Parts: sequence; structure tokens; C-alpha cells
Amino acid sequence: MAGTSKGEVLLQLKHVTKSFGGLTAVDSIDLEVRKGEIFSIIGPNGAGKTTVFNLITGIYQPTSGEIIFNGSSLKNLSPDRVLRRGIARTFQNIRLFNNMTIMENAMVGQHPFIPSDLFSVTFRLPNYRAAEKKAHNRALQLLSFFGSELVFRKEEYAANLAYAFRRRLEIVRALGSRPKLLLLDEPTAGMNDAETAEAIKYIQRLRQEFDLTILLIEHKLQVTMGISDRIAVLDYGRKIAEGLPAEIQHNDLVIEAYLGRKVEGA
Amino acid sequence: MSASPSHFQQKMQNPLKSLGLGKKIGDFLNNTKFLNRSLSWYLTGWRAGIFWGLVALFLPQLLSLSSNFLDPTYFAPNVLLLDAILCGIYVMLALGLNIVVGYAGLLDLGYVAFFVIGSYTVAFATSGIIRNIHSQVVTIPAISFWAAIPLAALIAGFMGVLLGAPTLRLRGDYLAIVTLGFGEIVPIVIKDVPFFYGALGFQVPPAPVINTPFGQVDFGNPLDFSAFYYLTLAVIILIVMFNILLRNSSIGRAWIAIREDELAASASGVNLVRIKLMAFGLGAAIGGIGGVFNGVMTSSISYDQFSFQVSISVLIMIVLGGIGSIPGVILGAILLRFIDVYVISTISTMLQTNIALANPANPFHFLVSFNLNTTKFLIFGLILLLMIILRPQGIVPNKRRQLELQGVGLAPEELSVVGEIEREESGASAPPDSVEGLGDI
Repeated sequence: MAGTSKGEVLLQLKHVTKSFGGLTAVDSIDLEVRKGEIFSIIGPNGAGKTTVFNLITGIYQPTSGEIIFNGSSLKNLSPDRVLRRGIARTFQNIRLFNNMTIMENAMVGQHPFIPSDLFSVTFRLPNYRAAEKKAHNRALQLLSFFGSELVFRKEEYAANLAYAFRRRLEIVRALGSRPKLLLLDEPTAGMNDAETAEAIKYIQRLRQEFDLTILLIEHKLQVTMGISDRIAVLDYGRKIAEGLPAEIQHNDLVIEAYLGRKVEGA
Repeated sequence: MSASPSHFQQKMQNPLKSLGLGKKIGDFLNNTKFLNRSLSWYLTGWRAGIFWGLVALFLPQLLSLSSNFLDPTYFAPNVLLLDAILCGIYVMLALGLNIVVGYAGLLDLGYVAFFVIGSYTVAFATSGIIRNIHSQVVTIPAISFWAAIPLAALIAGFMGVLLGAPTLRLRGDYLAIVTLGFGEIVPIVIKDVPFFYGALGFQVPPAPVINTPFGQVDFGNPLDFSAFYYLTLAVIILIVMFNILLRNSSIGRAWIAIREDELAASASGVNLVRIKLMAFGLGAAIGGIGGVFNGVMTSSISYDQFSFQVSISVLIMIVLGGIGSIPGVILGAILLRFIDVYVISTISTMLQTNIALANPANPFHFLVSFNLNTTKFLIFGLILLLMIILRPQGIVPNKRRQLELQGVGLAPEELSVVGEIEREESGASAPPDSVEGLGDI
């Protein structure tokens, strides 16, 4: 998949730093994610991976540095504005709307495309009805990406879904906004081997079918090594390595971060 | 998949049993399936809608029949109708607060503020009398009652947005405290700022007389409230329709999404500022309309009618009936008003006029001086407490909160959409079978 790594830059982080009081969670990170690639961020617990996601999606604002997406800065944009620019995400601890139906969850994901001004809604103007119908059909399409299960259970509450399907529904909700870049925060966390293997397959299918660029946080090295075009490794908020999976596997700093320092003379 | 309609009940199988009140009572009260099935059937759905709609439509006639079996010196049909109108005003308030608390999940303890604003707007606008900064009376052109309704809704809605704006970042307890403060400030401003006639109160002109092709209709006739009753009913129906339209729309979905998970809603493209201000503004506007009807109906308004207790009453109504459920909220308002106006005062009168209790030797003699009307919030509190323990979802729960589990089939046109997608998918490249590098490192 080396061929895809020469594309134009879609997302660029320039010296991005985030401090919480005295703690620097993300320390002057530079990243370049190119169009069409699956880019993984790995690192031990507390390395600042999720903070990077929160910075990109506007949940946090960087203390210093700049994030550029598709040629324009994301400075001071709220999460919904970032989404409208074309960056959607899922969460490490699944954050579905549990007391909404599966269908409604998929519809909320398309909120930016449905008029929500009082006048259109109250009088059910043609543009509102058309948008609502289109969103409904698109929600069905997206749900059917994961087979028939979600489609046939679309009127059930999201709280009733099994774990693996909750992860999938979250992806459906994220896809609703027609993103260019999809951020997946540990998409296989808590899954067994069979479910993980399936997740790997659908992440690759996502890129193909929706023409996506995917930025991935993952703990399981089998996942990242298997599907990533490039990998960046974070440790204590700093980027300690970046490169192709094969390079990362044999990088001394990475091995040290994961396994600890080699004892001299041992 | 197992249904989990009642996490709460599974966890606390029998709260009354643990209180030592006996298994049978506890089991009976816990048997909410019985309540769910029968009560909801009688109170929700199109059959119930038609039935209760007809009852509401013919209420003046039904009440006039009541003089056959009720003592008209205590229960004059027209007075009962007045109670029904006042109850209708609370139904409006409950429907308005339901948008803020029930849909958007923003706990607003100062809802009375918008009730005040509506009442004073109709007072000033229809009388045309205000005072300037030096407390001198100034007359302004008065507008009609009909124009005052949208004006009050606009002003109250604007104030709602004004309250909402600084509290956008607050949630839960913090929001409750700020809104509580707002609800206290507005009546105090009315009391102490000369512009509002302070403690003197204000006479509100009665509702107008209109000429129709079928004859004169007097909405302000104190001897026959039926015209005003129908006006109240019509406005309630409009508010209910408005609520239903909002609930089943992109706005309603966004409200419920922010109630469920604000961060996830924001990351799904919901503009939190806009959608929260919309909830505050619309809830407040409906509260303002309730205020207009209150002002005209009570004809004399002053700051002390608008206490924190009004906010709390409305909140109890929606919790009692079922947060987020329109029939529930309406029932809650009617039920609490009924307890407030009839049950409590009847029990109070019975205690005070009981001959056995009048004897000082009776150990329960103290009950004679026990005025239930001043302690009614104790009773409301008990009702709320029992409700939260036994049936936290309310009398007529919102379906959403019941988490019912049932597979629902697809409509034919939806099936065709899915079929197309599946065909497209099977035609397209199959997902890769093997994944390189799996299990390395």
C-alpha cells in the first residue's frame, strides 16, 4: 500500500501543543495525514493519543500550534463546525445516544444536512421533507454497510445492541456527515479475536467504499500493523517515531516505550 | 438480546418490602406492567386522543350537568369551568417546561419568570398604561388581546434566550441554580422597580368581545367562562401540535441527543449554542403565552403570585406525568391541580369541621388547627418521593424511557432501498479475506 502514501496532505498538525495546567499532554507534535491513507497513532496508555483526537475535532483548542485540514485552519472551531468541514469521529468509550433508536442515531449523524430552523420544521416545508427523506434513505444505506442486522433492528433502542454492533453504529453515525477524514478511537477495544478480524476488514472496506482517509488510534499492534499505511508513535505527549509499519516494528525507541529500556550488559 | 425495561425494578425488586411494609402492597405497587398496559392504553394513542378530546370539547356542558348531583353553592358549573381554565394554564406551562427539561434535558428551576413576563406583557400592552423612570403614569397606545399573545410569546422567548445565553456551558445542578436565581430575580424586579407598579399589583383588562357572523362572543364574561375556556383549549391544542411537530423533527432529535450526550451530539454536528437557545426560547415563549392567559383570567396581578412554588409545581407536574411524554405531562398538570384545588382543601375542610375532632380531649384535636393548604408542598413532596421510588418514569412514561424491545419490520419501499444496496455491495469488490501482518510483533 506504499503507493497511496504519496498523495496530497489532507490533515496537517504543526507543532501542536496542549497543556492542562502544569501537565503537557501533547508536546509540539507534527503530523501529516495524506489523502486516502490509513494512518495510525499508537503509544502506551497516557501518551496523549486521545488528546490529539480531541484537538483535531475541536473539543480542545491547542495551547499553541496549528491544525490545518484541507488547506484551511481549524483554529477556534467548535466540534460541530469541524464536523461540517469534513472530519467525523468515534469515541474510545462508545458514546451512542442510548435512549434513541438505531435509526435516530443514524439520523442525528446527518444533522448538518437537514434544515433545523423553526420555520421549515414547524411547517414541514418541502425542503425539510425532502432532506428528511433523503437522510432516512441514506441512514438505511449506511446501516446496511454492516449487513442486515442493524437495518432490521432500526427501531430498537441503541442501548439494546451488543458491544460490537454499538461500535459499528457509532461508525454509521460518523459516516452520516459525509466526512473526508474519519477518526477512529480504538475501534477494536474490548473485542475478541474474531470481532477484531472483522473490524479490520470493515475498516478497509470503509476506505474503499466511502473514499475516506482514516486516522486510527489503536492499542492492538496486530490491527495497526495489519492495516496502516503509516504509523506515528506517541510517548509522553511527544512523537517518538513515524514511518511504515515495518520500520516502526524495529524502531528501538518504540520497543523501549512499549517494553522498557534494555538493561546494559544483561 | 434480553429486554431491560426496568433496570430500576430489577435492582430494587421491592422498595416497600425493604421498608417493612409487607410483600403484597409492594408487589401490587411494583406491578407496573399492569399500570403500563392499562393506563397507557387509556391515556395515549388515537383512541384515547379522540375520547379525551371529546371530553375536553364538551366539558362546559358536562360541568353544567354536574349541578344535578353536586351542591352548586360549592361547585357552581361556572366556577368549575374557571378551575378548568386555570388548570389549562398549568397544562400550557407544563408543555412548555417539557421542551426545556423533558426534551433538551436542561433543568430549569426558574420557569415562573416567563409566566410573570407573559402576565405583565398582557397587562401593559392591553391597558396601555406604563410608568416612566420618574414613576409618572404614561399612556401608550394599547394593543388588542389577540396581538398581545404573540407579543408576550416573543418577549418571553427573547428573555428565555437571554437567560440561556450565559448558562450554555452549565449543566445539571449548576444550571438549576442559575435558573433558580433568574426565577427569583424577575418577581423582585417587578416588586421593587416603580415601572411595574411594585407591590400595588396591576389590573388587567378583561379579554375582548368579538363579533362573529353567529353573534357576539364575550371572552371576558365572568358569568360564563365557556368562550374563554374554548380559547384556552384551542391554544393548548396548538401548543400540543407544535410540541409533536418539534419532537418528530431534526430539532427534536438534536434536543434528545444533547440530553443523552452533549459531547457526542456536538461531534455529530449539533450546534449546541443554537439548539439549547432554541429549547430555552421556545419553552419560555410557551410559558409567556400561559402568562397571558393567567393575567387575563386572574384580572389582577401582583408580584407575590409568582413565587418559586410555581416553578416547582410545574416541575412536579412533568415528573409526575412522565418527563418527555406529552399525554403524561398534560395528565400530570391536571392531576396536580386537582389534588391542589380539590383534594387538599376538601380534606382540610373535613378536618376543621369534624365534630369529634373539635373536642379538646380528642388526642387528634391538633389536626383542627392543621391547615393543609399551607403545607401542601409537603404533600407534593411526598407524592414526588413516592413517584421517584415506585415509578421514576412517570404515570404515562415516554416510550423512549421504557426501552421496549421488539423487532420492527421494514416498509416495502425501505426494503427495496436495502435490496439495491445489497445488490450493489455483492457486485462490488468483496472484503479482503486475509489481512497481512496479522499477529506480527
